Amino acid sequence: MRELLATASAARTWAAVGDLVRPRRALAWAALLVLLAGTAVGLLTAPVLGRIVDLVGAGSSAIAWPVVVLVLVAVVQGVSTAFGTSLVARLGEGMLADLREKFVERALHLPLERVEKAGSGDLTSRVTRDVQVIADAVRNALPVMARSALTIGLTVVGIAVLDWRFLIPVLLAMPIHVHTVRWYGGRAVKLYAAQRVAVGVQQQQLLDSIGGAATVRTFGLAPAHVAQVRSRSQQAVDLALRGIRLLTRFYGRLNAAEFIGLAGVLVTGFWLVGAGTASVGTATAAALYFHSLFNPINAALALADDAQAATASLSRLVGVTDEPMPVLEGRVRPADTTIKLAGVSYSYVDGHPVLRDVDLELAAGERVALVGASGAGKTTLAKLIAGVHEPTTGCISIGGVELASAERSVALITQEVHVFAGPLAEDLRLARPGATDDEIGAALARVGALGWASALPSGLATVVGEGGHRLTVAQAQQLALARLVLADPPVAILDEATADAGSAGARELEEAAARALDGRTGLLVAHRLTQAVTADRVVVMEAGRVVESGTHEELLAAGGRYAELWAAWSGTRS
Amino acid sequence: MRTDLRTDVLKGAVTGQWKSVTVASALGAAHQAGEAAVPLLIGVVIDEAVRTGASGRLVLWIGVLAAVFVALSLSFRFSLRSGEKASHQAAHEVRSTLAARVLSADGGAAHGRLSGELANIATSDAQRVGQVNLALPIAFSAVIGVLVGAVALLRVSWVLGLLVLVAAPVLLGLAHVLGKPLERRSDAEQDRAALASGVAADLVAGLRALKGIGAEATAARRYRVTSRSSMEAAIRAAKSRAWLDGSMLAMTGVFLAIVALVGGHLAAAGTITVGQLVAAVGLAQFLLWPLSIFSWVNGLLAQGRASAARVAEVLAAPPDVPPGSSPLPSPVAGRVELTDVVSGSLRGVSLTASPGELLGVVARDPADAVSLLAVLAREVDPAAGAVAVDGVPLSTVEGSALRAAVLVAAHDADLFEGSVRDNVAAGGARLGEALEAARVDDVARALPDGLDTVISARGRSLSGGQRQRVALARALAAAPPVLVVHDPTTAVDAVTEVSLAAGIKRMRAGSTTIVVATSPALLAAADRVVFLADGAVVSSGAHADLVADEDYRLVVLG
Repeated sequence: MRELLATASAARTWAAVGDLVRPRRALAWAALLVLLAGTAVGLLTAPVLGRIVDLVGAGSSAIAWPVVVLVLVAVVQGVSTAFGTSLVARLGEGMLADLREKFVERALHLPLERVEKAGSGDLTSRVTRDVQVIADAVRNALPVMARSALTIGLTVVGIAVLDWRFLIPVLLAMPIHVHTVRWYGGRAVKLYAAQRVAVGVQQQQLLDSIGGAATVRTFGLAPAHVAQVRSRSQQAVDLALRGIRLLTRFYGRLNAAEFIGLAGVLVTGFWLVGAGTASVGTATAAALYFHSLFNPINAALALADDAQAATASLSRLVGVTDEPMPVLEGRVRPADTTIKLAGVSYSYVDGHPVLRDVDLELAAGERVALVGASGAGKTTLAKLIAGVHEPTTGCISIGGVELASAERSVALITQEVHVFAGPLAEDLRLARPGATDDEIGAALARVGALGWASALPSGLATVVGEGGHRLTVAQAQQLALARLVLADPPVAILDEATADAGSAGARELEEAAARALDGRTGLLVAHRLTQAVTADRVVVMEAGRVVESGTHEELLAAGGRYAELWAAWSGTRS
Repeated sequence: MRTDLRTDVLKGAVTGQWKSVTVASALGAAHQAGEAAVPLLIGVVIDEAVRTGASGRLVLWIGVLAAVFVALSLSFRFSLRSGEKASHQAAHEVRSTLAARVLSADGGAAHGRLSGELANIATSDAQRVGQVNLALPIAFSAVIGVLVGAVALLRVSWVLGLLVLVAAPVLLGLAHVLGKPLERRSDAEQDRAALASGVAADLVAGLRALKGIGAEATAARRYRVTSRSSMEAAIRAAKSRAWLDGSMLAMTGVFLAIVALVGGHLAAAGTITVGQLVAAVGLAQFLLWPLSIFSWVNGLLAQGRASAARVAEVLAAPPDVPPGSSPLPSPVAGRVELTDVVSGSLRGVSLTASPGELLGVVARDPADAVSLLAVLAREVDPAAGAVAVDGVPLSTVEGSALRAAVLVAAHDADLFEGSVRDNVAAGGARLGEALEAARVDDVARALPDGLDTVISARGRSLSGGQRQRVALARALAAAPPVLVVHDPTTAVDAVTEVSLAAGIKRMRAGSTTIVVATSPALLAAADRVVFLADGAVVSSGAHADLVADEDYRLVVLG
């Protein structure tokens, strides 16, 4: 059952924003004041132009001072906008950095069981898409919104100061704006969500078909795949065009509001001038004011759905940052690394046990190979010993201490290998932060990777992983083993670490794995039976139970399940 | 030649959508004219109605204003729709053409390119090529906007008109020159700012690896450092941009002040009316937009050209191998013969698989296996020697005939999004037998919807072992006269491996099968095994006999 990670409530989300602003209160005030001052000064332009109109209307050409004021206004406005926007950026980026750091820290500390229940896509989409949506909002929408909102607010104040009666037509246009935003917001959110999905599906189809181009050619599947690409691309295009249609209807409504407001201001001016209660200059200034509102209103309203999307993303990030951190203090250091499983059973779904009543003891320093068919429970057993899951019944202890309350001393290397983006040496230093170049070289040498690693374009400084030098699956697995060597845990579990490497690569990896396990208590989920031959002990599992246990020779001599398997697998009866 | 191709791609994008592009251009021009008319009309209303108190004129000109608003709103609406349609539809065509070329039987298009890079060309570059269709109408309407504004201004006063028409481009040119270094710096910083999200995604993608070695705290600490430096970069980028915007704002204001100064003096002297002064200031402001749009359009066109070049390069890639034309005998008996083949790491390999034989091939050096598979799949032609099926050299066989006769199932063959059943059925008709032989029945039992379970793209939702079995079933279902499989069981447990070996033998009975692998379970099932070392055949015989050889034993049994 999917159980998505938490999403914070609206109240909790705003409280989290408050927590982020609080340490930067002074900065926030400074940004607001500077922008406010700049916008207020900018509003002088229209009345000064109106003043020029009145002066020249009266036949005077003494307009030097008003023009000087216009120049000063321009300079002050430019400087304060630049300064104010910089302050907004400092504020927004600082908050964003705090938020993403807290998010990543919590995300990395989430129990693996929790992440798996949610599906790993949940966490991935939060860390990629949601963080990006918020960053875009902070970088693009926030400064424009801040400036537009101030301009709109102050312009309305400016119009009121000129003559409060000019506010009447402005207020006439407002309901259209409010209605338009509501009308658009509801539709846009849904449509853009559908559009993102369609673009994602199209991208996935391209990666799927292009990535598998060799297979497509081998099986002659090109016509079907090209048709798939076409249909998914057309779906994305259709949705994008629907988005454009919606957007143009949105702007059409705003045009109507613009006309009503502008015509109203002109008519009001006509009456007021006719009644002799306002000058032509005032009427001009009011009309220019309103005309200058077009752009900020359009900009602010067009960003309304960005802001809404950012809020939704924010609540998904805050949901994760509110997850509790695991308690690491007060754990007991085990006396040795003997691992003991007593009567351990485990079921992912109630009533369907994957492990049944397993008793197993790994002596300190012993290397045990786990053999069995898929579904026999090997991987589940490995995860239980690594502490990813807790047994449904029974008990696992290390050095006499129950696993859950013992200091962490078990490492788990799984089939899913990952090369961390960045210099190769930095990837390895994740396992041991202060490792010297010599230590890193030694670890690579121990897993047989020093040769190719030194031969990389920039040696250990070569940027690998996403966007860098591509490593083969076998090389990535060797890196995982080198990390294990550097992390140097007393107990290590290797699960399917050699599976994807191809047969020849698998043999090299087996040797690397054996060297990485030297000096540790090791549990090895064996795929090739050659791994079992060199282990201290072989444990055979079937349907969630341990059915045989002993050295390779002992089990061959016993002539049981393992002996049968070995004969069939090796094709020899010796 | 590449320039020609690039031009062809761009031309095709535009001419393919010429109707939409034309409509978008015409309506875009109408919209610009309308936008230019609004400040003019404000001036007219003030001159003819507000100043004179003539209510008839007021009604007339407000009516004209309404008509202009309707016209500009509708022309904007349909201009943008047509332009976007032309842009997206052209991108769609480019994308489809690219996909068809990359997947076409000729191959060669992917040469040296990662699939992510190709997918990127098919999305981002296709989109940029399409955007040329958006840029052209905008450029056209901006030209019209400038013309209309200029004529209107010159009619008001040639002094003011000349002033604006000379000063506005100078101003924009100045802003461009001043802005370039700021913009460059801002872009560079923005790339650095984007690093934080990239690193975060990477750490989460590697969550299991991190947790496996208990490196969560180290990773979080390291992330904080990246995040802080990204934050500093983002602030610097925003600062550069803020000062760019601020200086543009200041310069525009100064420009308007100058127009007001000159226009004011003209109005005071009675050369122009007050309403014309208002209109002139409005027009000066309006003209800044179409003028500034040119540098943006230029940017779009430059991007379009660069993207078109990347698209053209993929489309024009030569095929991997020259196509042949001979047919194969029908039905294909399945005799595969390599004669002194020199290719890749192979140095004169001769071997034969008789019709119906299950031949095992063990390569001590994995490079030999890769080279062998490449010549069998005819991804390359041997530098010397020949590969023949039923006596016909592969290099002369017509492409589709060859693919129907010889199927090379690669070790890393991909699965596709869709149900397990569909994936296997993509191979061919012998579905039921193939599912059983490759033990996909076992796989299906462990999946929520059995054979109908939809697997995610490239089979990532399956384990390595499950993936291999589905891929093997697909190859078996195709039932080609000659099947070559490479390491089909490396991710499968030993128990299942034994059963798969039996399944392959059962299902391929009577058809030629070459198994390139080092798994003893598979080799034990083969009729005969050929042992390759140092690019040449060392020995050949039954697996049970070959294990006596120390070298062979070391490769196969470790």
